[in-house]
Amino acid sequence: MLDFQQLMQILPQQLVFGVTLGMIYGLIALGYTMVYGVLKLINFAHGDVYMVGAMTGFYVAHALGFAGHPSMVGLLVTLVCSMAVCALLGALIERVAYRPLRGAGRLAPLITAIGVSLFLENTGQVLFGADPKFFPPLLESREFGRVGALSISNIQAVVLATTLLLMAGLEFVVMRTRFGRAMRAVSFDAPAAALMGVPVDRVILGTFVLGSALAAAAGILVGLSNPKIDPLMGIMPGIKAFVAAVLGGIGHIPGAMVGGLVLGIVETLVSGYLSSTYRDAIAFVVLIAILLYRPTGLFGSAQTEKV
Amino acid sequence: MRRPWIGLVLAAALLVLLDAGLPHVLNPYYLTILTRIGVAVLAAVSLQLINGFTGQFSIGHAGFMAVGAYVSAALSVYLGAGWLVALGAVLPVPLARALYFPVPLVAGGLAAALAGLGVGIPALRLRGDYLAIATLGFGEIIRIAILNVDAVGGARGFSLTSAAQPAADLRYDGLGAIYAVVALSVLVIARLVYSTGGLAFRAVREDETAAESVGVATTRVKVEAFVVSSFFAGVAGALFAHSEGYVHTNSFAFLRSFEIVVFVVLGGLGSISGAILAATVLTAAPEVLRGLGEWRMILYSLLLIVTMILRPQGLMGQRELGPLRWLATRPRQRHAAA
Amino acid sequence: MPLLEIRGLTVRFGGLTAVAGLDFSVEPGALVALIGPNGAGKTTAFNVITGIYAPSSGSVRFDRKEIGGVSPHRICAHGIARTFQNIRLFRSLTALENVRAAVAAAQRSGLRDVVRGPGWSQREQALEERALELLTRLGLERVADTKADALPYGEQRRLEIARALATQPRLLLLDEPAAGMNPSEKEALRGLVARLREEFGVSIVLIDHDVAFVMNLCDRISVLDHGEKIAEGPPEVVRRDPQVIEAYLGNNGESA
Repeated sequence: MLDFQQLMQILPQQLVFGVTLGMIYGLIALGYTMVYGVLKLINFAHGDVYMVGAMTGFYVAHALGFAGHPSMVGLLVTLVCSMAVCALLGALIERVAYRPLRGAGRLAPLITAIGVSLFLENTGQVLFGADPKFFPPLLESREFGRVGALSISNIQAVVLATTLLLMAGLEFVVMRTRFGRAMRAVSFDAPAAALMGVPVDRVILGTFVLGSALAAAAGILVGLSNPKIDPLMGIMPGIKAFVAAVLGGIGHIPGAMVGGLVLGIVETLVSGYLSSTYRDAIAFVVLIAILLYRPTGLFGSAQTEKV
Repeated sequence: MRRPWIGLVLAAALLVLLDAGLPHVLNPYYLTILTRIGVAVLAAVSLQLINGFTGQFSIGHAGFMAVGAYVSAALSVYLGAGWLVALGAVLPVPLARALYFPVPLVAGGLAAALAGLGVGIPALRLRGDYLAIATLGFGEIIRIAILNVDAVGGARGFSLTSAAQPAADLRYDGLGAIYAVVALSVLVIARLVYSTGGLAFRAVREDETAAESVGVATTRVKVEAFVVSSFFAGVAGALFAHSEGYVHTNSFAFLRSFEIVVFVVLGGLGSISGAILAATVLTAAPEVLRGLGEWRMILYSLLLIVTMILRPQGLMGQRELGPLRWLATRPRQRHAAA
Repeated sequence: MPLLEIRGLTVRFGGLTAVAGLDFSVEPGALVALIGPNGAGKTTAFNVITGIYAPSSGSVRFDRKEIGGVSPHRICAHGIARTFQNIRLFRSLTALENVRAAVAAAQRSGLRDVVRGPGWSQREQALEERALELLTRLGLERVADTKADALPYGEQRRLEIARALATQPRLLLLDEPAAGMNPSEKEALRGLVARLREEFGVSIVLIDHDVAFVMNLCDRISVLDHGEKIAEGPPEVVRRDPQVIEAYLGNNGESA
């Protein structure tokens, strides 16, 4: 057992791990929450899009020869390619599996979402093989900076910087562009938005494109910091990110990021200080504790029904 | 129905014949699959009570199956083996086994029902998707908690063999008896929902505010649905544990819960027949498709997507078939028909 | 002794006061109207009487028992039933099932339904009989097996009333039953409401925003505006009340 002083000494380091993990959960959670916003659909296939992101990165990096030569440019090209591929994939999934079920209630698309998830996982196993692959080291791991005893690696720095940039970009798109305004309108009241001439189907498609691209980015960032990747790698983070989205109040964009951070930090602390076997349970314990206190998440607005 | 006792006696006789004859006719592989179908049907029909009839959205059903499976298995291993041996000493062995095996099933069911009560009361403050994720969370918490209990094997899984009574055979895979349990459970659920009082479940599903306004104690009805549903999920888990002779928490991960949700929605929300149909087809499908090798699960997932797109209301919608349809008819028409 | 007696009822939502110090009572067998412009607090008052909202302050007594803050299904068991402004039927159930669901909601027993001992079938049939009778009395027997959401609007309104009556209320609250109806339908509804009082011996409070509709129907009218009662009395008196005319000016002026 560690004594108190030791506990406090490793705390900052644990927090850095937690924040890094939390940022990645947050990136995936953004996709859940945006899709939920416009479609009220829990897109269970989202975690698998993140897997495809990591896999695409693996193949792109090898094909373009970045695998053996770590560089910032290689990372950037891989990231962009992977985001593009997943954006397309997201659009395809929406078009094929969800759009035909518009207006068919909320549970039918949930089942196709599970279907798409199974499809991606199993196709992944056929295409990529079931065994884990090792994501090429696109950056050479070294210390980026040090504050006292606290050390931050360049990979952690890249994860943090990329996530922050992507978030800022998303914030800009959602708050400052026509598309973003349309997206908020659809989230707020889709039928009314349609009446006002917002092309709802295009907005939904665009939302999938954005969310899937962010998931791909998360896939690459995970590949950097935790290089073992496999076709089922999306299942657990997918669920965790969904938890993060709900934690923040599903449909609420900054909430998803905060939810991701809370989850990442709590998980890291629990596996650091208590036991890693409880790590996967703690996410849900936190979730339930918060939901019992705030039934619609941290930032979710109370659902009131007019009688 | 008109002469229930004759029906029961006939059913029991049929069961004895089945259990004596089936193993000679079918190979163990088919027996195992048929058993799994029975377990899947019970899990699906019990979840139908919550999701299809009461309109609540639970996606953590496997957690309750896990409680039933592990509690019943632990009971059998640590206590039941002794009882079974003692019973077997004074009674013919088949009779002793027939007397003993309902015990772990009921115990598993009760334990799961208790868990359902514990989960249901706090969780029902939540609505819609928030309830869904909370049930998913509870399911996972239950699973991981079990994973950390060494007495039931932890991560190694839990084999139904007793160290103290190695001679006791704690496996029970009599197909007839398993299907009898499934049929009885389905009957209980069907009778519960297809009665005047049972309309309360559907009233809650349709409109909670309106249901309250006509005197339905909606919270009570929801807790009731959770408890009854969990009970039968527990029974399904206990059946699973005792027919396989071995349990592992991996069998009760959230993917299992999702699978049960798929049965219910694909079958048709609010149709017991639909849940039975979907659970049967989707449990058999991967086996039927086995010849396709690695492509089978891809085909399975495509089937799922295409079926849902073609029939968004599910295979059966809210309709029932056969005897279930009869149960679902209006009382007077049923009386007239009888 | 009034059947329903509300004293100083105030309901606040955050900073908004929806009902302010309302006094309102209903005598046994009375047929009274609660009228007022949109947002006057009529429906909020109904929601408090039926337990959907708890009062911020004040008392609501039904049959001398305080029912403020009691849960809706208990209030229903006390003998208050209602309809909703935006029809709230059990949409995918048949008309008969809608009424059956209400007939025995307060005294259901799952165990009895599972065991189905002697007498169970007779009891089920008797309950169905009662539901059918209600449908018949509201002219809905033809559509007993039609799904509620497939019914035309007027029949949905009547079905909601049938469902409310199935709980055997002593007080029936009708929230804008005439909304969306044409003049001849309104006329028929007026006849129906008067008949309900006679045949079921039930006291009725009905909400409308139109004085004309309740004019020849009700014994007494209470007028709400901005959460406060601004007038009360027999229809002829209320219709000439300057404050009432004022409240309706620019809104529904000529009909008031």
